[in-house]
Amino acid sequence: MKKITYIEAITQALDEEMDRDEKVFLIGEDIGIYGGVFKATKGLLDKYGAERVIDSPISEVYIAGGSVGAAMVGLRPVAEIQFADFITPSMDQIIQQMAKLRYRTGGQWTCPMTMRVCCGADIAGGLYHSQINEQWFFSQPGLIVVMPATPYDAKGLLKSAIRGDDPVIYFEHKRLYRWIKDEIPEDDFTVPIGKAAMRKEGSDVTLVSYGLMYHRSMEAAVGLEKEGISAEVIDMRTILPWDREMIFESVKKTSKVVLVQESSKTGGVMAEISASITEEVFDYLDAPVARVCGLDVPAVPFAPPMEHYFLPNAEKIAKAVKNIIEY
Amino acid sequence: MPAAKKKTVKPKANQVGLSEETMMGLYTNLLKTRLLDERFRKLYRQGRFAGTYFSAVGQEATTVGPTYGLRDEDLIAPSHREIGANVTKGVPLDKIAGQIYARVSSPDKGKSHPCHYGWKPKGVITPSSTLAGQTIIGTGCAMGFQIQKKDNVVLAFFGEGSTSRGGWHEALNYAGIYNLPIVYICQNNLWAESVPATLQAGITDFSDRAKAYGFPGITINGNDVFTVHKTAVKAIDRARKGKGPTLIECKTYRWYGHSEIDPADYRSNKELEEWKSKDPVQFAEKTLMSLNLLTKIKREALVEQINQEIDEAISAVDKDEYAEPEEIYNDVYSEQFPVRRVEW
Ligand SMILES: Cc1ncc(C[n+]2csc(CCOP(=O)(O)OP(=O)(O)O)c2C)c(N)n1
Repeated sequence: MKKITYIEAITQALDEEMDRDEKVFLIGEDIGIYGGVFKATKGLLDKYGAERVIDSPISEVYIAGGSVGAAMVGLRPVAEIQFADFITPSMDQIIQQMAKLRYRTGGQWTCPMTMRVCCGADIAGGLYHSQINEQWFFSQPGLIVVMPATPYDAKGLLKSAIRGDDPVIYFEHKRLYRWIKDEIPEDDFTVPIGKAAMRKEGSDVTLVSYGLMYHRSMEAAVGLEKEGISAEVIDMRTILPWDREMIFESVKKTSKVVLVQESSKTGGVMAEISASITEEVFDYLDAPVARVCGLDVPAVPFAPPMEHYFLPNAEKIAKAVKNIIEY
Repeated sequence: MPAAKKKTVKPKANQVGLSEETMMGLYTNLLKTRLLDERFRKLYRQGRFAGTYFSAVGQEATTVGPTYGLRDEDLIAPSHREIGANVTKGVPLDKIAGQIYARVSSPDKGKSHPCHYGWKPKGVITPSSTLAGQTIIGTGCAMGFQIQKKDNVVLAFFGEGSTSRGGWHEALNYAGIYNLPIVYICQNNLWAESVPATLQAGITDFSDRAKAYGFPGITINGNDVFTVHKTAVKAIDRARKGKGPTLIECKTYRWYGHSEIDPADYRSNKELEEWKSKDPVQFAEKTLMSLNLLTKIKREALVEQINQEIDEAISAVDKDEYAEPEEIYNDVYSEQFPVRRVEW
């Protein structure tokens, strides 16, 4: 087994899927000659040619809508949105076509496509290169939304997305690209969509998160352990449809839960999860559901003190845990 | 058109430059579209189906002409006024009527909207209501054909109003770069709901837009089904051979409101009467009669036959039930991801 980074895992998944199935092709800005602004598609143009690694014009509407069309006629497109910040022009196509195609045609036409979206803060990206807007897609049934936190999941989830028959928004966190390494099996493997990962078992409190925030939650959990607080850590991996069973079971066990999310708090994914916990497992709770989220401001500001102030971190998470532990 | 290869008389080219078979085929589809459209208007006013209805009466030649002769595998990327493309592509009338009535037999099982006909076996994409939507995904279908080296083509239909959208531009721009196998048909009926074409763009001929994408744009009389067909055939042939797209602007007019709930009081009677005198169905009839290809008697027989077909299709769906409400949960995702059900 070899240790690889999160971005290497993505490149490997693309390469292996393109090699396995000639119906898989890539389209996006700067993904061919340049190999992607973060080099996720490095080497793939040379290997598979310009018909399967398409350097698109700056056309986020077309990248999304054109991929839907290609999927309709039998291909398996993997579209890249260079930065989640610039996904807004694609929204029309994602919401009206990708998400609704199967439904509005009574299942006659389907949309087996993957949209890779590079997202996230903590890289000094500023207001327009740090956004993470999974909540917009989370509220659109018909879409699958995933966000891997580890190289293993980055590879396995991307493969599942490409092989599946539903449209997937695949959020990849740019802070994770080169930060963490994993040992990855040489053999082909996939990670199932819709299943969370139990990263650490605990008995006093449950921490639920995904993406970069999983790592922050784990940092918090390790610190809390030293102070005698045993935290269970769940990495959701798939945001829509989310793994209700694992989260509810954990809440039943620990009776306390802290939900952690990088994007703004209001109307976010964790708002829904919090509501569902109170609807379904309220009787098991020994404290109010707590949330640690990005701030309710238009986006993540640039200047480092403001960027760090915006973001949840281990310290803020640990504080929230202690608040409800004492409840 | 899969013409039956019989040893009988070979259709002769005439002054119009089309065979008798093609001319009669075009006319029959034109007439069928007109009769079906008028029937749906009537049924709507009788309250026989819900929602509203978008009539295409007056502009049928713009959809019948390009569609006639396409293969089943070629795709139609429609908007909301393409009943003629459905009829001509061979979508069964009970499927079209099923969509109108939103019954369980409707291809979409009643989920979308009466005028959003689509039927995959005949290559018609069930449209979204977002204008230019199918122009964008239709361009993607053409990209898919090109990547797979299939010689199928896509016909994308839209009104002149839809050409103002950014996504429309992105699609045509892309098609121009890659010479995609697609033909864009603009039905310029001079009005987008209540907004005149003069307030839609700073150009008079919408085909001028093609210059910016590096492929041919052509403006034609959209009420002459023979000209529309001949122009489209050339463009389709070009597209099929990998030489790229064409934008064809068909000047035409819709006789009735934007939909049945629109009194269309924003335009003058004079304008309407002028365009009614250029009725595409009558134009085709006159041409055919002058060539001795059609007689009044033959026309009456054809009308009777088509009306009977329509009667049969309507009475079939009229008796049909709506889908059970639980149908709501189907076709959200593949079977891998069943939707959570609610107990009401
Ligand atoms: C994106 C979008 N904006 C607005 C509408 C509402 N709308 C439906 S049809 C229409 C006018 C369309 O005009 P045109 O494209 O010229 O087609 P026509 O109706 O004349 O056939 C409008 C504004 C819509 N369906 N989609």
